[in-house]
Parts: sequence; structure tokens; C-alpha cells
Amino acid sequence: MLRHLFKLIWNKKGTHSLLIIEIWAAFMVLFGVLTLIVFNLRNYLQPIGFQYEQVWNLELSSNQDTTELAPKLQRVLQRVRSYSEVTVASRMSSNTPFSANQIGNSVTYNKVDVGADFYYTDSELAKVLNLPLKKGRWYTDADLVGKYVPIVINQAMEDKLFQNESGLNKVVKRDDKTFYKVVGVVDRFKAKGQFMSDTPGLFQLLEKNDRWNSNILIKTKAGTDANFEARLVKDVAMMLPGWGVEVGYLKDSRKNRENLTLVPVLIFLIVSGFLLTNVALGLFGVLNLNISKRKGEIGLRRAMGATEAKVTGQFLGEIWVLATFSLVIGLMFAVQFPLMNVFDLDKEIYIIAILAAVAVIYIIVTLCAWFPSKQAAKIHPAVALHEE
Amino acid sequence: MIKLQNVEKVYRTSSIETLALNNINIDVRKGEFVSIMGPSGCGKSTLLNIIGLLDAPSKGQIEIDGSPVERYTDKHLAELRNRKLGFIFQSFHLINDLSVIDNVEIPLLYRNTSAKQRRELAQEALEKVGLSNRMKHFPKQLSGGQKQRVAIARAIVGKPEIILADEPTGNLDSAMGNEILGILQKLNTDGATIVMVTHDEAMAKKTDRLIRLFDGTQVS
Repeated sequence: MLRHLFKLIWNKKGTHSLLIIEIWAAFMVLFGVLTLIVFNLRNYLQPIGFQYEQVWNLELSSNQDTTELAPKLQRVLQRVRSYSEVTVASRMSSNTPFSANQIGNSVTYNKVDVGADFYYTDSELAKVLNLPLKKGRWYTDADLVGKYVPIVINQAMEDKLFQNESGLNKVVKRDDKTFYKVVGVVDRFKAKGQFMSDTPGLFQLLEKNDRWNSNILIKTKAGTDANFEARLVKDVAMMLPGWGVEVGYLKDSRKNRENLTLVPVLIFLIVSGFLLTNVALGLFGVLNLNISKRKGEIGLRRAMGATEAKVTGQFLGEIWVLATFSLVIGLMFAVQFPLMNVFDLDKEIYIIAILAAVAVIYIIVTLCAWFPSKQAAKIHPAVALHEE
Repeated sequence: MIKLQNVEKVYRTSSIETLALNNINIDVRKGEFVSIMGPSGCGKSTLLNIIGLLDAPSKGQIEIDGSPVERYTDKHLAELRNRKLGFIFQSFHLINDLSVIDNVEIPLLYRNTSAKQRRELAQEALEKVGLSNRMKHFPKQLSGGQKQRVAIARAIVGKPEIILADEPTGNLDSAMGNEILGILQKLNTDGATIVMVTHDEAMAKKTDRLIRLFDGTQVS
């Protein structure tokens, strides 16, 4: 029967070409949207690797002030640490967790070059963000006397740069002048939030005389409220006249960051939902018309021994065959993505998206064909033959 | 072989009731070639549909091979149509998107027959009607007579005991009509029971027995 259906659809391929293109286009859009969804969902299911509750981001901007920036920043840090409401505080570069800023560079080890996010921070960040170490230790100021700049890397970085070796105590280079020594490895650090993929990253020790990196992450005690925030801003503003002083909660930044990821996904979902609805309505209309045009054939098949169930099965089978033609064409395009490693995404993401898109297309065509097929089966054979 | 007792068929709409068949009693014996004649609208095709189990009578009983079919399920009736009956229609009812041989194979699709066996049986049926050289053609490439021969091949491919022909020569010229009748007579000689609806007196006279209908009533 399957061969018969393939033959029937193949012989009518000209008539069905628009329908095949429509299903193919729906599959391609669905594949794109599902890739985005699978990519984000997989990221979402991975922990971000640190704690951000009760962590505030004190953002300082020197504006026109250009004198003695480093000592001023150190004094503010000391002051912040002195509050009873503060558990621990750490200076950090502007790419604080959930911020839109990004600092990137590449490092090399044994001719393996890996691009990574660079986070410049002091020895206290691990305590502020409760960032657990998998291996080694977090750097301290004492490491500054060494020959190499101490860094802590994440697991993704270790995997990419050192393949199957341990990265601990290995020396890597950024350029011909800058050499780093890996002193510790953390598990994950998804600084851009839950939807960020676990990409390579490293933490570099921030020197005390650094004047550029002016963010301070503050871990407050439970129950610390806006009164303290007002006091903090007022005190810091008094210490740094003319500077910009802003406090943000990482909890809020995280929500904003996640919305930035979710909004485009939602827009794509709405657009593809609209497209799929159109495809479904089109299919439904075409199938209804098809059945009214083929009443004679339905009557003939019933006369030749087809049961109601077989007539339903035939029309469902035809649309599945049609969908299969479209999907075969669609798959020829879709498989290029994992094969050619497009967008550097994990192959598994594309494979899951392809399988899900195929399943959704078959579900849609089945739902669209179900009612017309049932209607076809109910046509009385004598009436159907007479109408021809 | 086919027995109809007190068969009546009424078509009802919200306002009109039409008596299409009234008190029909027919007994077709195995190997007989029976023709049903009558003017247009007298109920010939309705009667053939009832005999072919494509329509149910409003009253009366039908027996095929001694078994009453009133209580048969859709599945059972479909199986009976597939195994016992072969249909030939005035307008051929060929599927234009399938080749001649694929059209002939259709009844075998509803049986557990392998693709190879289907092909062999269809070739054999086409040889019987003299169309083995047109197997790969499509219906649109055939003349009316050739189309009807394909329809006959399709009707006999499953080797049914009964062939029901609804005005098989109605769309053909007299030479082609005689040719088709010749094929039916040959099938009858080979053992098939044939019931043919026609309005052509000359054709009807060439069959074993003639049943006449008028306004839904059997007059002879």
C-alpha cells in the first residue's frame, strides 16, 4: 500500500509542488526556531555556577576625574568592606555578572588557541559569588610576586585548551609578553545568566594599582535593605566627588538579561506559530477540496474492497507521503548545519531540533488530514460513484 | 448465487419520499449472464448497487452465496466486495494518475497479496482483455474501448465469481460495445456469473436472461 501511495503522490508531484514547498518552508522555519529553543533550553538546564542573591553591583565612574584613581578606588573598597551589613566585597572589571559588557581575548597552549571571556578581579570574588573551585586554589595578592600572572579558569576552558590534560599549574600565553599560570579551576561561570552557554572563561588577578576596573561587587547580609543602599551611595559620593555612583542588584540584572534572550525567542515563536497556522489552514483547505474532487475514486475504492478505515488510512497516508517528500528536501538543507558546524553549536542541538521539527510537521499534517480523511471515509460509495 | 427477496428502496428527504425499488425478487444462478433493462430512472443502477453491496435496501433480504448480508459489518461487506464481486462502470472510473497496470492492481491492494504477485495477476488480467502492450500507459492515453477493457481487467484481477456491469457499453460506439460484450461473454463462458445493467435491447438479448424494470418495479 505504501508503494501505491508513493506512486500516486509521485505521479501527481506537479499538482502537489506548491504544497510540498509550503511544508518544506514550514519545516525550515520550525527547524530554526527549535534550534534556538533547544540551545536556550539546554543552557537553561545547566546551573550558572555561582550565587548572585544578595549581591550588589556598585558601579563607579570617574567622569572628569583623572587623578589618583587607583588609591581612590582602594579607599572606597576598604570603606565598603567596613560596613557591618557587608559580608565580603570584591573589585571587578565592567563585565560583571548579567551585564551587557564583554571582554574577550584568546590564549594559547601547545599551539591550541582558545577564545575566552576575561574577568579582571581580586582575590575575593570567589567568596562574593560563592564560586566553588574544582581544582587548585583561588589566587591571592601574594601570587603577584611570581613570574607569571595567576589565573583561574573554568572547566570549559580547561577542556578546550588542555583537551584531556589537567590545566593546573600549566603556563599559557596571551601574547608574546603576557604569560599566565593556571592556579585553579572552577566548574561553570555563566556570567550572562541561565541562557548563556558554558563557554571558556578566565579570571585574572586585578592589581591594586589598577585604575580602570571600577566595579565593586558587594555581598550583603540577609535582610539588608534600601536604607543601607542609600547610606552607601551617599557615603561613596562624599568620598568621590564628581563621580557617578550607581547600585544595582544582580537579581534584577539577571531578570533583565534573561528577558533579552527570551524576547527574540518569543518573537520567533509567534512568527513561526503564525506561519504554521497558515500552513495548517492551507493544508486543511487543500485536502478538503481534494476529497470533494476525488469522490469518484473514493467510491471506486470502496467498491473494490476498501473499508472506511482503509479510506481514512489512504488519505492520511497520502499526506504523510507528501510530508515525507518535503521533509527529505528539508533534511538535505538541515543536515548541513551539524555537518558544517554552522554557528559553532553542538551537533546534538541540531539533531534534536531536526527530530522535533520532523515530529511537529507530521503531527500538524496528521491533525489537518484527520477530519477530511474521516469525511472521505463516510462518503457513501453508491453516492460517490454516482457523482463521478 | 445472488438472491433478492422483497427488496424495496426508498429515498427520503425532509419533504419527499421516493420509492426507487419496489418488491424486487431476483434469483441469479451460478454461471448465469443476466441483464437488467429499463428506461432511465427506473432504478437499474440502484438495484445493481444493492446487489453489489454498495447500498443497503430499505426492506427485504439479500443473499450472496446463500448467506444473508444484512448484519454484515463494514469490514465484512468490504471483504465480500473484494473477494466475490467485480465491478465495471459506464464511466470506467479509472484513476488518471495511475498507470494502466497500477489501476488494475487496485482490488489486490486490499488483500494480503505481495507486490510481485499483484503485478503478475494484473499482467495476466490485462492479457485476457488484450491490453498487455498498454501496461505503462496512463488512462488519458487510451481510447474509450481500451479504458473499458482496463476496467474489465480490474474487475477480474481478483478472480471474483460475480461481475456486476453498470452500462459497460453506454459510452462506447457499437463496434466497441460489441467487443466489450464479447469479452464479458467469454468471461461468462469461463465460469463468471454476470449481472449487466443496460438500456440497449440488442445487447440485452445476447444474455441468458432479461429482467425488466419500470418505475422501480420488476415487470419481467
